[in-house]
Parts: sequence; C-alpha cells; structure tokens
Amino acid sequence: MGAYRADDDYDYLFKVVLIGDSGVGKSNLLSRFSRNEFSLESKSTIGVEFATRSIHVEDKVVKAQIWDTAGQERYRAITSAYYRGAVGALLVYDVTRHVTFENVERWLKELRDHTDSNIVIMLVGNKADLRHLRAVSTEDAKAFAEKESTFFMETSALESMNVENAFTEVLTQIYRVVSKKALEAGDDPAALPKGQTINVGSKDDVSAVKKVGCCSS
Amino acid sequence: MKKHDKKPNNYSSVVESNDVHKPLEDVHVPANSSEESSCEIHNKNEEAAMRDENLEYDYDKLSLVWGKPRQPPLGSKEWSTFLDSEGRVIDSQALRKRIFYGGVEKGLRKEVWRFLLGYHSYDSTCAEREYLASIRKSEYETIKNQWKSITKEQAKRFTKFRERKALIEKDVVRTDRSIPFYDGDDNSNVKCLRDILLTYSFYNFDLGYCQGMSDLLSPILYVMGDEPQSFWCFVALMERLGPNFNRDQNGVHSQLFALSKLVELLDNPLHNYFQQKDCLNYFFCFRWVLIQFKREFDFEKTMRLWEVLWTHYLSEHLHLYVCVAILRRHRSKIIGEEMDFDTLLKFINELSGHINLDATLRDAEALCICAGENGEACIPPGTPPSLPFEITSMYNQQDDDDIL
Repeated sequence: MGAYRADDDYDYLFKVVLIGDSGVGKSNLLSRFSRNEFSLESKSTIGVEFATRSIHVEDKVVKAQIWDTAGQERYRAITSAYYRGAVGALLVYDVTRHVTFENVERWLKELRDHTDSNIVIMLVGNKADLRHLRAVSTEDAKAFAEKESTFFMETSALESMNVENAFTEVLTQIYRVVSKKALEAGDDPAALPKGQTINVGSKDDVSAVKKVGCCSS
Repeated sequence: MKKHDKKPNNYSSVVESNDVHKPLEDVHVPANSSEESSCEIHNKNEEAAMRDENLEYDYDKLSLVWGKPRQPPLGSKEWSTFLDSEGRVIDSQALRKRIFYGGVEKGLRKEVWRFLLGYHSYDSTCAEREYLASIRKSEYETIKNQWKSITKEQAKRFTKFRERKALIEKDVVRTDRSIPFYDGDDNSNVKCLRDILLTYSFYNFDLGYCQGMSDLLSPILYVMGDEPQSFWCFVALMERLGPNFNRDQNGVHSQLFALSKLVELLDNPLHNYFQQKDCLNYFFCFRWVLIQFKREFDFEKTMRLWEVLWTHYLSEHLHLYVCVAILRRHRSKIIGEEMDFDTLLKFINELSGHINLDATLRDAEALCICAGENGEACIPPGTPPSLPFEITSMYNQQDDDDIL
C-alpha cells in the first residue's frame, strides 16, 4: 500500500463501482454519499472518477473507494477495465426512464463478465423523487432483483433519500462476505495478520484489503 | 515504423539532468534545432545526474524548463502584419510558430481559430472567405432542417433520433455551466450547443453523438458566437478527432499506444515502472487524450492549450508530448509511492486543475525537440489528430450501437 492513503485510518478498504446508463444520476449518488452535495449541472463523467468515504460497520472502519464510471455504451470497452478488484457494485437506473431499466440486464452481464462471482451487487432505482414521471414500478424492479439475486433499493440523490442506506448496505454485505471468508479460512477477522489480503473469490485480483500497520509500505 | 531503440536512457536523463543550481532559461534551444544539438546540452549534465540518484526525486521542485519562454499572445496589430493586402496569410509557418509560442489574444481568436482549425485555408482572400461563409451558412441550415422537420409523429417511429436527442440534451445542460456564457436557465447558448450537436449527428450520422463532443464544441461556440461557423469549425476539428469517438475506440487506443512508446523513448525508467505495474495500457490518460485536456485546465487555459496544439507546429501530436511532460513532472511521486493502477488513476484524475500550463508546454516542446524523428516514429501513421487516410470507412458503426 502506497503512502497515498497512509494518512487514513481504516480497517478495510473496499472498491465499489457505480455503473448504469448515462444520465441516471451515478455521479450525484456519489457526490451525495461522499460530500453530501448534489448538482443538476455536474459534468458528464469521462472515463472514471473517484471518491472515498469511511463508515463504521459493526466495530470496524470501512473505507469505500467508489469508482464512478462513464455510462455511454461506447465507452464500455474502456470502463470495464476499471472493474478490476471491485468487491461491490451499485447498478443504477433511472425510475423515470424505462430504457435505463431495460439495460440493467446488459450491465449485469458486463459486471459478471469482468468481476468475481462473489461481488455484492445492488440494483438502485434513482430519481425516486420524480413521482409523477415514474416509468418503472418498484414491484418490477424488486422482482428483477430477486430473480438476479441482487440487493435492491430506490433512491433520490436530490432528496438525499436512501443514498446513505444503499451504500451502507452494500458495504455491510461486503464486510460480511469478507468476514465469512476469513472465518472459513480459520482466522478471526479481527485478528488477521497485518497486511493480509483477503480474497473474496477465486480470482486473485478481487480482494478486499485489510489495513496494515502504520509503518507499512 | 522506424526503430526507436537508440539509447533510450539518453533521453530519460535529459530532463532530470537539467541543472538544479542553474536554471536553464538561458539555454536557448532553437525551435528548428536538431535532436542531437538539443540533447547535447544536457548530456554534459548527465554524468552528474547519474551520480546522484536522489536528484531524480527532486524533479518536482525544479523549474525544469528548457523550451522557449512563452510569449505574450498574438494581438490584432501583429496579426495584420501576417496578412497581404487581400487578406491572405503570407507565411503560415511563421504564423503557426508565433501562435505556438504565445497563443492568440481573446478578441482575435474568432478570426484566427478558423485558420487553425482548417475551416479557412491560409491562402484564401477576405472576399473568398466571406463568400464561403455565406455558402456554409445555407448548407448548415439545410442539414439542420433535416432534424428540425421531423414531426412528433415521425419521431415516435425514429428511435435512434429520439435517443440521440435525449443524450445530447442530457449532456449540453451539464457542459461548462459555470461559465457565464452557458450560465442560467433557458440559456440560448446551451440551446445552440444542442442544435449544433444534433445537426452534426445528421451531418455525420455514422459517428453520431458521443459523450465528450459537447466538451470539444463548447469553447468553439464560445469563441465563434455564430452558430453556422461554430458548426463548421467543429466539423473541421472532428475531421481530426472524430476517431476518438469511434465505437471500437481505435482512435484513443492508437494515441495511448503511441504515448507508451514515447514514454519508453523519453523516460525509460518510468516506462519500466509502468510495465512492472501492468499499467502500459495508459488508461489513466484516457480523459486527457479523448477531449484534449478539456477537463484538466480551466476554460481559458484550455483554449490557450488548444490553439497551441492546433498549430501543429513542431508536431501534429504535441498533445502526446504534453502527456509525457505531465507524467514526468510527477514521476518521482508515482515511482516513489509505488502507485498501482488504481492509485495512479486516482492521482492523475486529481491533477485536474493543478497543472501548470506554461511550464508543461515548455517541457512538451523540449521533449518533442529532443525526441525528434525517433519520437515521430513512435506514432503510427493516421494516429489522431492526423487527418485519416480514408474518410469513407472511418465511422462504420453497427446497428446495435448505443442504446443510450
């Protein structure tokens, strides 16, 4: 681990990706969660952008490194390269635009092609504040999420509704996967050797990183 | 492609060896100097640099510039000296050189950019340009009318049109809204951006609209003001940068490939570091290349950078040397902190707004001169923004292209 994040204090670092069609509100979900900000005029994402925020899960500090990717289909070849190492994903659609929900299936495939099967996925129906414009019912989305075994939540980045819950839920679920893995490996998750990388799946590059001691490099 | 394995380390030590104690402001490197002569100056210092490896890690703190000092921008009075009595540019090479070193004054951009972008040819007269403008205006209106005349009923059965329109409308309202020109509700310039982009997507239906295009158009409309002229200037720019937005991303990939070759040539240790960290795809420079650093500098600085790049004075690919210059400025941090791909990507993203344009341009110029022919050999023919060989087959898109 480089000095770049040496001044942080956390127990776990989880990489989470935000994916979904262009204009569904991925960047605003991220800015709401990481900085409690929202802007109708925030720039479209080119390539990928980042933000981090630490939260408490049980008695641990979990730092989420959230990757916000460009939504336009044409950039998928490049954005999929950014999935590497992700242990969680928020797959976002816009409840007022049905086509963005229809495309969720393609995004899911994309995600499963490029990440480990143990990745924690949450389907997120954003813009739930626009009640009069709703085009995707909660029931339909819920049914789809059940069928695909993903978590599901409706959010509004504008009204700050459920944003915190969505991210916290994903991070908590990842933490559980990681703890379970560690237990299965015979380790007490609270007493892992410093610097140990915890694989949540079979691929080496899918990992959650437990924070190492202060003098690590 | 020519080989470029000629002592890469000579190049890598060039900028580090720039003297810590003595700023090299006085080392004048003529713009047309050969690669050998410019490198020679630095070879003298090479030995000292090699003795002290720590020097490399002091790199960030140094004003390591040996490109020519930047000049004040070209003004109206000086501009008129470049024109003959009928308005032809007498010596386009001299003009491009002048702009390369100083850019163009704000008020003059409207006139000069049309040449730089290739909308007007340097040897056209004022009268010819006026005539062309009137023809182009009506041509623009014709193309614009192609989508303007689509009725609501027709649009219902024209999914591709609806999708493009929706995508463009989503993007224009989030393009440079902090600039007063695009500020506020119902801003007519934002509508103008939309109209131009939608018209372009009919002019070049195969390429259509792709995110990033609004970033490229925005400064052009800001400078030109006029809708048809902005459109045609944008068309001229897209002749060169269109492949950046191709479905297969080949335009960007060829530039990132060339960039990796240039870093290998100009900074072999950094290249080796990227290789070791499995970072040779250079995806961390994707945004830089796709929209020509538009998100890395403020609006004014972006315009300055672009007009310098558009001169194609030392190289058509100066932007790649700009990439190398920025990476080199931070090489000690990148290597010293052992950044992996993720950390590097985050670090590069966060450089946005913190890059010194003038110093970077001077470094880029120096690197470009130093690399000389070997540098150009790193860049495969047809790499954007070089004009493509065959325009017809460039944007061959499949039917199942972007849903949104």
